[in-house]
Amino acid sequence: MSTALDRSGAPAWRDRARQMAAPEFVTPAVLLAPSIVLLLVVVAFPMVQGLYFSFTNGSLMKPGALVGLSNYAKLLATPAFWHSLQFSAVFALCNIVGCYLLGLGLALMMQMDIPGRGIFRVLLLLPWIVPSLVSIVAWRWMVADDKALFNQVITLFGGKPIYFLSDSTWAVTVVILIKIWRSFPFMMLSLLAALQSIDRSLYEAAAIDGATRWQSFWNVTVPQIKNISIVLCLLMTIWTVNDFDTPWLLAQGGPANATENLVVLAYRYTFARNDVGMGAATSFITLFILMALVFFLLRLQRRT
Amino acid sequence: MSKTTAKRARHAWLLATAAATMALSLTPASAQSVTLDFWDMMWGGAEYPVAAQALVDRYNAEHPDVKVVYRSVPWTNWYETFVTAIASGSAPDLSTGAGFQAVQLYDQGAILPIDDLVAGMDQNDFVPGALDALKYDGHYVGLPWAVDVRVLFYRKDVLEAAGVAVPTTWQDMRDAAKALTKDDHYGLVSSGDPGGMHWILTSAINNGGGLFDDAGKAAITGERSMEALQFLADFAADGTVNPASAGYVNDDARGAFFRGEAGFLLNGPLLPDQAGDVKDQIGIVPPLKGPHGDVGTVYWVNNVMVYNQTEHPKETMEFLAWWSDNALTLWTDGHSGNLPARKSIASNPYFQDNANVKYIMDTYLPIAKTMAATVGGTFPALNEIDGDGFLMSLMQAIWQGQPIDGPAATAQAHLEEILAN
Repeated sequence: MSTALDRSGAPAWRDRARQMAAPEFVTPAVLLAPSIVLLLVVVAFPMVQGLYFSFTNGSLMKPGALVGLSNYAKLLATPAFWHSLQFSAVFALCNIVGCYLLGLGLALMMQMDIPGRGIFRVLLLLPWIVPSLVSIVAWRWMVADDKALFNQVITLFGGKPIYFLSDSTWAVTVVILIKIWRSFPFMMLSLLAALQSIDRSLYEAAAIDGATRWQSFWNVTVPQIKNISIVLCLLMTIWTVNDFDTPWLLAQGGPANATENLVVLAYRYTFARNDVGMGAATSFITLFILMALVFFLLRLQRRT
Repeated sequence: MSKTTAKRARHAWLLATAAATMALSLTPASAQSVTLDFWDMMWGGAEYPVAAQALVDRYNAEHPDVKVVYRSVPWTNWYETFVTAIASGSAPDLSTGAGFQAVQLYDQGAILPIDDLVAGMDQNDFVPGALDALKYDGHYVGLPWAVDVRVLFYRKDVLEAAGVAVPTTWQDMRDAAKALTKDDHYGLVSSGDPGGMHWILTSAINNGGGLFDDAGKAAITGERSMEALQFLADFAADGTVNPASAGYVNDDARGAFFRGEAGFLLNGPLLPDQAGDVKDQIGIVPPLKGPHGDVGTVYWVNNVMVYNQTEHPKETMEFLAWWSDNALTLWTDGHSGNLPARKSIASNPYFQDNANVKYIMDTYLPIAKTMAATVGGTFPALNEIDGDGFLMSLMQAIWQGQPIDGPAATAQAHLEEILAN
């Protein structure tokens, strides 16, 4: 044993500290330091401050007194919270199913050797690339009233205009469809990468065993992309539950709060109702729900 | 380099730095100007901020020691705009804003009272009630600059073509709307944003009700207010309100009205002057009589407020006084959609020669009440009620044709929560 580190009788932490001070630890620490500082300032500090706010009854302009868990209790007793939770769940579920199926279908098509495949890949990425403000405002213009583009097409085929943003059910439908439209490119790209990493010999073996195309897909493709699919669904859930742009820019959470999800509710509490405590409580309950979901899905992934 | 040379170089550097510092500190005072940030809401069409900027430029030219920086602020999410600015320490020196904004922000410790400024002005030059509407906690928290009142307008050509008389009562209005609804044209058009929500306030006040009872408690589900909500719900049930209204913003509703797709529209007092070619086709419905014979409408005293965060209160107050005295071009050039709060400005031929404006000032203003109708006065919660979305949600539910009991109860509970806080 090296006498430099052999401090018989010296505390273990001192040895550890000396090891950490060695150049092979210092260099990575120095390189990581800016990112850590940024994360602390931009993520950790606001999070801690937000948690503190959730236990107070003030506003952003005038800090309030500590009220313990009463914001959380009040929130759980508020019908608006349960309505927002329900809409968030429906929004997330529909978006995941919709953009997964669409993304997988397009990824399978992109694997084929079809003319113009490269151009299609770029065009199909556009919904994801275009800034949300631009795309959602454009969608709003296309569905806003009876003179909007969609209704002009509907009436051209003899139908009656649909007031998409004035009817609660249609507004929810439009929000979900726009979100699927904005989300599928990421799903498609990720699944395409996963499909391309599948060992071709598995398909050859399946073909030798006489498997049909559907059997190859179900017994080879699906198991091979299962893990990445779980991760993608997890990410999409988080992004959908946290989506403020789509319901707000389209209909400001309306009509009649039909498209008010948890994030819009938190925003309304904080800024429109001047109650940062309730807004922060809403945000943290959303966080706890998402953390539980992450835990559950990661366990599922480990089991597979 | 020898020690002596290094010492001399250091001395020379120190001397140069000191000289530069002294030179900067001796800069003549006239070259140091005060900069004021003035945020102004969109009080009219595209020409309004142009006219307001020109007025600011005139002030800057007349006062070279002060530079006012003008910023036009859209109404969308107006409440959040100011809350975040104040909370982040980036509030302007002064701003215009919503009718009760100054009261609530004063309560949050963000507003500088302007008592001295008001004391130095001719208080009789303000329209009756305007200054009192901004007196809270013994202080003037804002300076009135305009009065915004809700007026019911109609399309003369549309009513004439349908052979419909101008209504005088609620029942007349309902019948007229039915007669006008056909071939994708509707009796009335509205919106789901604050512009649409004003139907609730106007109708409730028209019927002798309002958001509050005499004791200041929430009264959305009170008898007179529920009658007003039912009056609006009847339009939806009859199919006489444009079905797109719940999803419309105010500009959409105005556009539909200007295109002649609806017979009636509730809007600001200077709507005809903003209507372009169809100005002469727009008439004013005399204040409707409710089922109990009441008349009334809602109005706001819009004002300019000074923020505590200002570093130049003296210059800010001076600019505010000048702005108030010289605001006429905001109407003549900017076509502001409100009426002036100063009688001296209202006496200008621009207003007196405008038959519509004169009619509104003589007929609508005397019967107008603020959102605090029935209880009176002003208090901070009014701003939260004005900026919160719960009345918009109620309006959207009504225009969608939902039965009013559920949405009204939800709005009542929400209002009670705001008042309790």
